[in-house]
Amino acid sequence: MGLETDNNLIDQQGPGFIITSVDKLVNWARTGSMWPVTFGLACCAVEMMHAGASRYDTDRFGVFFRPSPRQSDVMIVAGTLVNKMAPALRKVYDQMAEPKWVISMGSCANGGGYYHHSYSVVRGCDQIIPVDIYVPGCPPTSEALINGIIELQEKIKKEESIANV
Amino acid sequence: MYRQSDTKALEDLLQKYEIEVSMNQSNVEIKINPEQLIEVATLLKSNLSFELLMDIIAVDYLTYGDVDWKTNNATSTGYSRAVKPTIIPEIDETFKGRFAVFYQLLSVSNNQRLTLKVFTSESNPPSVPSLVNIWSSADWFEREAFDLMGIHFDGHPDLRRILTDYGFIGHPFRKDFPTNGNLEVVYDEEKEEVVYQTVSISTRPGVPRVIRDRND
Repeated sequence: MGLETDNNLIDQQGPGFIITSVDKLVNWARTGSMWPVTFGLACCAVEMMHAGASRYDTDRFGVFFRPSPRQSDVMIVAGTLVNKMAPALRKVYDQMAEPKWVISMGSCANGGGYYHHSYSVVRGCDQIIPVDIYVPGCPPTSEALINGIIELQEKIKKEESIANV
Repeated sequence: MYRQSDTKALEDLLQKYEIEVSMNQSNVEIKINPEQLIEVATLLKSNLSFELLMDIIAVDYLTYGDVDWKTNNATSTGYSRAVKPTIIPEIDETFKGRFAVFYQLLSVSNNQRLTLKVFTSESNPPSVPSLVNIWSSADWFEREAFDLMGIHFDGHPDLRRILTDYGFIGHPFRKDFPTNGNLEVVYDEEKEEVVYQTVSISTRPGVPRVIRDRND
């Protein structure tokens, strides 16, 4: 979980103490409840649904989907982002409260993918919003998405938001 | 399956119009002029019970007959399609013979299908009469054909774009429209909004190698 006990301190003070840094505590709380905003755009969304449903069950990681950006920490861009959708995607991202992260799921969201040369598709959702984790695949399996979520958790654990203030 | 007697009924019904009736497998196709479209469509619906308009298809015949996919010869040279812009024949301002509209009709009561083929008017923009008043399903089909091919349907109550982006310019399914389009969207940090810019990539499709013979 990122919270380690200092055995020397416990030996000195007796049991019942946990010593950690505020950053680690904050990051532990953040990684324990990453709520993604539902943003399924294409077939990747189906894999995302599988990841959220009982078989793969992202609830185990405290990840469950919210219908509102106001309640969300993570945005999973799952599918082809077209030009017409781009302003809406940006608006939803802007509505999310800080701190917020983005997982780009699948070839289309990563860089246009199959539709890279199309007249109507954004060549990667990182043209519109900053992306933290890219999950490759067309579509990525549910396991791959869960791996992406775990990688994002690892990334968040390395953040030092308090220490660097 | 279209029974022979029914083709007879069709020919009898449309006797007074100059109409080509052709049969491909079991599919009957009739070719008419845009001026006749409303009358013929009304007759087909009322007399031959074609209750349903299943689909509208628009075709651009600009490069029809040019073989882009020369698989054997292209193996050493690569495909030219979309690398170089398709050689567009001098565009005739009148669009003569360029666009055609196909209507797929279905008669549920007779279990028959019929294809209606109409070449658009030779004016610019190309146009055909709207069939919304005969089959209401034509509404969105015609909007789609207008959006992607730029065919105007005279008499359509609300001929707006239906699929492409707001403010989109051009008709992407036309053969002289660049595959990459003309604009792309990016987020502008300073303006804090999504903005359009001219497309930043050049056409660069993959060059597949096709091996058809052992010696290639």
